[in-house]
Amino acid sequence: MRVWLGLAAILLLALVVAACAGHAWASPADLWRALAGDAALRSRLLVEWRLPRVVAAAFVGALLGLGGTIYQGVFRNPLAEPYLLGSAGGAALGATVALLVPLALPQSWLLPLLAFAGAWGATLLVIGISRVAGAVDAAGLLLAGVAVAAILGALRSFLMLALSDETVSLQVVLSWVLGGIQTPTWALIAGGCVGLSLGLARRLDVLGLGEAMAIAFGLEVRRFVMLAVLAGSVIVAAAVAYGGLVAFVGLAAPHVARWLVGPLHRPLLPASALVGAIVVVLADAIARSALPPAEIPLGLVTAVAGGPFFIVLLARRLRS
Amino acid sequence: MSALVAENLRVARGKSTLLRDFSLVFDATESVAIIGPNGAGKSTLLKALAGTEALTGGRVRLGRRNLADLPAAERAQAIGYLPQHFGPHWDLSVAELLEVGAGRARSLPADALEKATAAFELGGLERRRWSTLSGGERARVLLAMVLVVDPPVLLADEPAASLDIRHRLDLVRTLAERGGDRLSVVVVHDLDLAFSFFKRVVLLADGELIADEAAARLIADPRLDEVFGVRFERLRAGEGWHLRACR
Repeated sequence: MRVWLGLAAILLLALVVAACAGHAWASPADLWRALAGDAALRSRLLVEWRLPRVVAAAFVGALLGLGGTIYQGVFRNPLAEPYLLGSAGGAALGATVALLVPLALPQSWLLPLLAFAGAWGATLLVIGISRVAGAVDAAGLLLAGVAVAAILGALRSFLMLALSDETVSLQVVLSWVLGGIQTPTWALIAGGCVGLSLGLARRLDVLGLGEAMAIAFGLEVRRFVMLAVLAGSVIVAAAVAYGGLVAFVGLAAPHVARWLVGPLHRPLLPASALVGAIVVVLADAIARSALPPAEIPLGLVTAVAGGPFFIVLLARRLRS
Repeated sequence: MSALVAENLRVARGKSTLLRDFSLVFDATESVAIIGPNGAGKSTLLKALAGTEALTGGRVRLGRRNLADLPAAERAQAIGYLPQHFGPHWDLSVAELLEVGAGRARSLPADALEKATAAFELGGLERRRWSTLSGGERARVLLAMVLVVDPPVLLADEPAASLDIRHRLDLVRTLAERGGDRLSVVVVHDLDLAFSFFKRVVLLADGELIADEAAARLIADPRLDEVFGVRFERLRAGEGWHLRACR
């Protein structure tokens, strides 16, 4: 209980700090006035522009935390992560197509839809490759993921070069791909994703006992893995469609959450969501305020912080 | 009444036949040891009985029902299966492992977890993580996880092979004694333990059923020597047996 209250308090604090942060810093008193309905331009800007972005950052972080936890649970591998396994890259490719290729559907539909198709397809491809290669261990899966992610990244760059002209701004896509929080209208999506992942919790625990034991405990392993990968892809696609490519949060959040609440998935999933939200809210605050008046891409901030984290985890795993 | 019946079991993978068409009938209350040399098909037989190995021919019945038609969740509650190797991917605590084990039952008596903790002497270990447990403790935790839902059938696959002699003895005795009021079928590597603790012994070789008899009768059977490719000296040792192999 103390852990949950602590996490909620830290998230609240992070939200306040992030709402104050920007190239023009606001004080908590400014924030309070703005929330109380002050009509001054400065207050209106805070409420109408900065706050939605801060809340969106929290949702994107929560989704990345959930997605990372599901991927680690399904692959039974603490190094699995949507970004490293190519799933986020697939979502980004799909989203780039949606942004650049004129298609019959409205973009607000296409973006999440193609992002999902990309995330799902990339993950299935990685699973397929590592199965065909006979490597289902951590290293094989990661290598397949890295290769697929590289190919997808190259495809995305090519699309951006080949398709962008004056009518579509390359700048928009570029800043989106590097991770930039879009204004949200989708608290419902986040809620749905939490519900979806909690529905997988017990079966993720059983799968974590190992395949033989999971089968003996009545889990239909193949079917469940496919279902969980599908759910994970939906969540990753939502995160990428609204937040761009944000590296390593999906890796780090479940680890931190596991230290706090242990490895059972029912507490782990919401805890990862909270940790992911805290991390992305703070990273987004840094992205907006570190180099005024420019804005650093969010994905760069999380990569600088998360890369070393991954290296430490990898080193510890290789040593053991 | 027979609890578990295997009829004309056949399992083939590619060109190799793992089980060659035999039948076995198990009562609702008995303890049975399955023995045989390496590659005899012991583990395959156990998985087939547990309903987790696809059959090439024949069928397994649990009570009156065909095991293959049973929903996986129902099968998991009725049949406890102890694998040869177990290592969870996450470093769960003992209490968490028991919780996951209990989760497969649709409903459990409120004191089921407490009972399992007491029955397998896990009091005081609840908060310890798997990685910090000794081999003997791990064996007890695994057994508690599988038996916390009190399944009428227990199938155990050489779970004692990696334990030291005292813990192996404890574990095999626990498994055999469960045959007093439940069905307990155990693949046993150590022939002394098989013949000392189990009333009935099933001997397999090359996927074939060689013998299925009372332990007291099979111990004298020359087929035992033939199958294992050695000559056994059969020594009476207290209540049990000691088999000394010579070439």
